[in-house]
Amino acid sequence: MSILIAQYLVAGVVTGCFLIVATLGFSLTRQVEGFLNIAHAELLGISAFILWSLVNLAGWYFIPSAVIAVGITAVLGLFIGRVVYDPIRKFGPAVVLISSVGVAYVLGGGLDAVVGTGVRTMDIPLATSYRFFGVRITDYQMAVIAMAAVTGLSLALFMSKTTTGLTIRAMSDNPELAASRGIDVVKTSRATWLLSSGLAGLGGVSLALIATLSTDIAFQQILTIIAVAILAGLGSLYSVLIAGQVVGIAMDMSVLWLPAGYRPLIAFALVIVVLLVRPQGLSGKST
Amino acid sequence: MNIEQLILATATFGSLFAVMTVCLNIQYARGGMINFGTVAYFAVGAYTYAIFTHEPPSGLDRYVFGFDFPWYIGFLAAGIASLLFAVLTGWPTLRLRGEYLALTTFAFAEVLHSVLLNERRLGNGSVGLSNVERIDFTQFGLADKYGYALAAVLLLIATIVLCRRILASPYGRAVDAIRDDEVAAQSVGKDVQRMRFEVFLISALPIGFAGALYAMITTLVNPMLFTAEVTFFVWIALVLGGERTIKGAVLGTIALVAFEELIRNFHFESVRGAEIASSIEHMMTGVIFILVLRLQPFEKIKTWRAAQ
Repeated sequence: MSILIAQYLVAGVVTGCFLIVATLGFSLTRQVEGFLNIAHAELLGISAFILWSLVNLAGWYFIPSAVIAVGITAVLGLFIGRVVYDPIRKFGPAVVLISSVGVAYVLGGGLDAVVGTGVRTMDIPLATSYRFFGVRITDYQMAVIAMAAVTGLSLALFMSKTTTGLTIRAMSDNPELAASRGIDVVKTSRATWLLSSGLAGLGGVSLALIATLSTDIAFQQILTIIAVAILAGLGSLYSVLIAGQVVGIAMDMSVLWLPAGYRPLIAFALVIVVLLVRPQGLSGKST
Repeated sequence: MNIEQLILATATFGSLFAVMTVCLNIQYARGGMINFGTVAYFAVGAYTYAIFTHEPPSGLDRYVFGFDFPWYIGFLAAGIASLLFAVLTGWPTLRLRGEYLALTTFAFAEVLHSVLLNERRLGNGSVGLSNVERIDFTQFGLADKYGYALAAVLLLIATIVLCRRILASPYGRAVDAIRDDEVAAQSVGKDVQRMRFEVFLISALPIGFAGALYAMITTLVNPMLFTAEVTFFVWIALVLGGERTIKGAVLGTIALVAFEELIRNFHFESVRGAEIASSIEHMMTGVIFILVLRLQPFEKIKTWRAAQ
């Protein structure tokens, strides 16, 4: 029994690591651009399918394909931010939030039109599993964990050590003050779009490693991404690391006691409880 | 293409969804509440109707409740159930503002969807309930398809009259005052929390009735019919019609339903063709949505009219 629990725990940690990468970009957008980008998850799907088509159809190696996929997704995100969101920012966050639903429709519909429905698997070697004290873990699962660790660490370094990182943080704390201190708001906003969409791209790569792909996958992810972001407190980056693990582990461990169909429900039950008891989230900062 | 069928379908489903858009309009434009879980109240109405009118389970059925009541009791129960669900979800959440409220209502709708999908004892889980009891319009000398179109239009008219009445009353002006300036409304003794809650409840009732009628028309209830897509559809219709007026909400919905029915009426040679068409329909809906929000044509018409 304890082995079984440990096994589910490992699965939960892997899900949590994926959720961390997927949510960081979402939270970053919320922090700097000030709205909830429902279309964020569609970028994950697009990145995953660019990767899939490069590996399966063009026959490329995995790593260069992943780099290209992340790059294209980042540029696409920047493009959408400039063309769609920037001109309507003046109407307030509610309008931008609702517009992002429209963007999600366009991206999701586009993906459906190009790829078509149905389940796809990546053309990569089968996962090798390793045993540690009786608990199995595959090399792809380890890759997802490593990716989350590297992403979290480099994001923390980027935000605290580089000028661009510092301006992003200044913008998210107080946009007026940042602008009056001579920070180039437009440039910073573009850097944020590149960064957050690039993170969505990385999330797509993780997704391609651990899940079978279908075009409706993006929509399923937005639900858990929102759950993680709320648990973390909207607009907080470091608490995303903890919140991602909490949601991932809670979801996968719940399978021990509840039918597997209820897995997404766990994430949402968490959202409701958190919003009712502690609306400011784990970070404790009120937004 | 069958023109009569197109018009009938647009009238039936257009009116049905317009009931939801009008209610959402009250919640958003008048009450300032972003409800991203509209589908939940619709689903509660439909499922309650189906459970109340269904025969008791037999054979392979997994559902436990089936009361075999006549349709009008089921219809009333649907409205009441939707109201009760609004009490359950509105009471704890309405102190949240803006996007937090949007996310909580969205979460409630997803939880309900997940329960309906997994809990076989309620409505056969993912299989759903089929052969739902419906009104027999032939006894009034009316073909079913005309009868249901008529019923949907009547429900829409009743909803509009209800909303108009409320909004034109002193109560409606108090609601407007709260939206415009919460502090000022509070300072003249309006209970903001309570009024917001009441608006939320009142607007849930017609959505429940619409759910019951929807169950009659489709003759089945199934979790797949009640996904977040419905919520987004209603939101798009609301934005399409301009946010502030009942007329706009109704016209926006009818236009959107007509557009969808028109595309559904084309015949496709292959499955792939139909698939591409439906994805392009999705994309077009999204583009229209973005453009309407961006260009704000209704605001412009309003200022133009005012200038005349």
